[in-house]
Amino acid sequence: MIQLHNVTMSYQREVSALDGISLRIPKGDFVFLTGPSGAGKSTLLKLLYGALTPSRGQILIDGQNLMRLKPSQLPYLRRTIGVVFQDFKLLPNRTVLENVAITLEVLGWGKKDIGKKVYHILKQMGLEHKVSATPLRLSGGEQQRVALARALVNDPKILLADEPTGNLDDENKAHILSIFKEANIRGTTVVVATHDQRLIENSHKRVIVLEKGHILDESNVPQ
Amino acid sequence: MRKATFWMNPMSRNKQAKRPKLSGDGYAGGAKYFFARALTNIRQNFFINIVTIGTITLALLIIALFLLVFVNLEGVAEDWSKRVQVTAYFDQEPASQEVAALKAKISALPGTEKVDYISKDEALKRFRVRLKGQDSLLEGVSADVLPASLEISLKRGSRGGEAVEMYVASLKRIPGIGEVQYGEEWVKRFTTFMNFMRLVGALLGGFLLLAVVFIVSNTIKLTIYSRKDELEILGLVGATRFFIKAPYVIEGMLQGAAGGLFALLTLFAFYLGFLHNAGNFLSFNPAANGLSFLPLPHVLGIFLGGVGLGFLGSITSLKRFVTS
Repeated sequence: MIQLHNVTMSYQREVSALDGISLRIPKGDFVFLTGPSGAGKSTLLKLLYGALTPSRGQILIDGQNLMRLKPSQLPYLRRTIGVVFQDFKLLPNRTVLENVAITLEVLGWGKKDIGKKVYHILKQMGLEHKVSATPLRLSGGEQQRVALARALVNDPKILLADEPTGNLDDENKAHILSIFKEANIRGTTVVVATHDQRLIENSHKRVIVLEKGHILDESNVPQ
Repeated sequence: MRKATFWMNPMSRNKQAKRPKLSGDGYAGGAKYFFARALTNIRQNFFINIVTIGTITLALLIIALFLLVFVNLEGVAEDWSKRVQVTAYFDQEPASQEVAALKAKISALPGTEKVDYISKDEALKRFRVRLKGQDSLLEGVSADVLPASLEISLKRGSRGGEAVEMYVASLKRIPGIGEVQYGEEWVKRFTTFMNFMRLVGALLGGFLLLAVVFIVSNTIKLTIYSRKDELEILGLVGATRFFIKAPYVIEGMLQGAAGGLFALLTLFAFYLGFLHNAGNFLSFNPAANGLSFLPLPHVLGIFLGGVGLGFLGSITSLKRFVTS
C-alpha cells in the first residue's frame, strides 16, 4: 500500500528532515510513527499526502509513484487518503454537518445523499446531536471526532493522523484510538504520528521510531 | 449509469457505479453548484463581503465621478468648438451662379460641415439685430458698406488649430475666394486648452484606474487570505484546483458587480440630488441645462469594469493561495 525507497527531504540544503528512509506499510496495517519533536514524523506524513515532494527517492501509494504523478492527478489520490491534525483544521463558520460534508461535495454528491451519509458517520462518532453546532461550541475531543468524521466519511484507503490526541484528555484519547481501530478493521490502512507513549503502549501495533530523519527502530511490539 | 460530472476523475468512473446521486450532472449542474456555493460563502462571510463590496463601491464611485466631470467638460468643449467658423469675404457681391459654384466647391472640401452665403442685405439685417436699441449708430449705414461672405462650419475633427490652418490653405486655393478670417488666436488658445485638458484627464484617469485596480485586487486578496484554511482543507480532501477556485471567482465577480451597481446608484443619487443643476452654478456653459449623467456605454463600462476587477482580483489572489 505505502512504499518509500531511500526518501530524503531537505527543507534547506544542509539540514535533512528525512535522510534515506526506506519503508513498507502493507494494506490494512496500523502503524505508529514516533520519535522526539523534529524527528521528521510530520514531514513523512506530508510526503505521503503529497503536500511535499521529496528531494530524492521514490514514494509509492497504492501502486502510484508520487514522483511521476501530475499535479492535476494529485486531488484524485487525496480522495483515497483521509488526514487529521492536532489542531483539527475545522472551519469555524460552518456547522459540523457542513464541515464533514466538504469531503463528499468535492466528489460531487447530491445534498440528500450527503445528509444521510454524514449523519451516519456522525452517529458512529457519537456526535449525531451536534450536526447543527459550529466547531467552536464543541470540546476538543468532539472537534477531533468531527475532523475524523471528515477524514473517514469517504471510506478512504489510508488514514493519516498527525498528533491526533495532542490536545486531548485520556478519555478522549481512548475514544479516538478506538475509532482508528474500527476504521482499521474495516480495511483502512492507518498511520498515526505521535510522541504519546501511552497511546502506543495501549494499542499493541507496529511502531516505527524516527530520530533526526532516520529510522532508529522498528518493531511490532510496544517499546 | 449516470454520466460523471466534469470535475470527476474519468479513471474512477467504474468505482462510481454505486455512488449516490450527484448534485447535478454536466456543466450546468456544476455551474449551479458553484453558484450556490458562492452565495453560501457570501452569507457565511457576510461582514467581510460587506467590507469588500463597500471598498469596491467607493473605488468605482471615484472613477464614475471623474468620468462624469470629464464627460461634461468634453461636452462643454464640444459646444465651444462649434464656434470655430471660417468666413470668406467678397469685395464685390458675386452673382448667384457664382455663389452656387463656390458653395459646391467648398462643400467638396474635406472638413466642411455647412456653407451659408450671407449677402450684403443679409449682413445688414444681422448688424441691425445686433445693434438694436442703438439705432443712431446705424444712421448712414447701407448694405454697400458691409461685405458679402460665405460662412463655413467645420466638422468635429477639423476644428483643431492645425486642421483649421490646413483647411483655410486649401480654401484659399479655390479661385474667387478672397480674404479669409477664422479667429486664429482663439482657435490656437482653444486647441492648446483642449490638449491640456485631455492630457490632464488621461493622466488623472490613469492614476485613478491604477489606484482602483490596486485597492480592489488587494481587498479581494484579503478576503481570500482570511479564508486560506478553507482553501487548504478543500485541497486536503481532494478538490481539484478548478473546484476550489470556481466559487471564489464567482464570489469575486458578484462582489465586483454589486460594487459597480452601488457605485452607479450612489452617483445617480448624487446627480439627482444636486449635480444635475450644478452646471449653472459652475457656469461652465450658460446655455446648457446643467450637467448630464453618464452615457450608457460609460454606465455599462463601470458595471462590467467592476465584474472584471472582481474576476481578475480573485483569480490572481487564488493563484497564490491554491497550491497543491
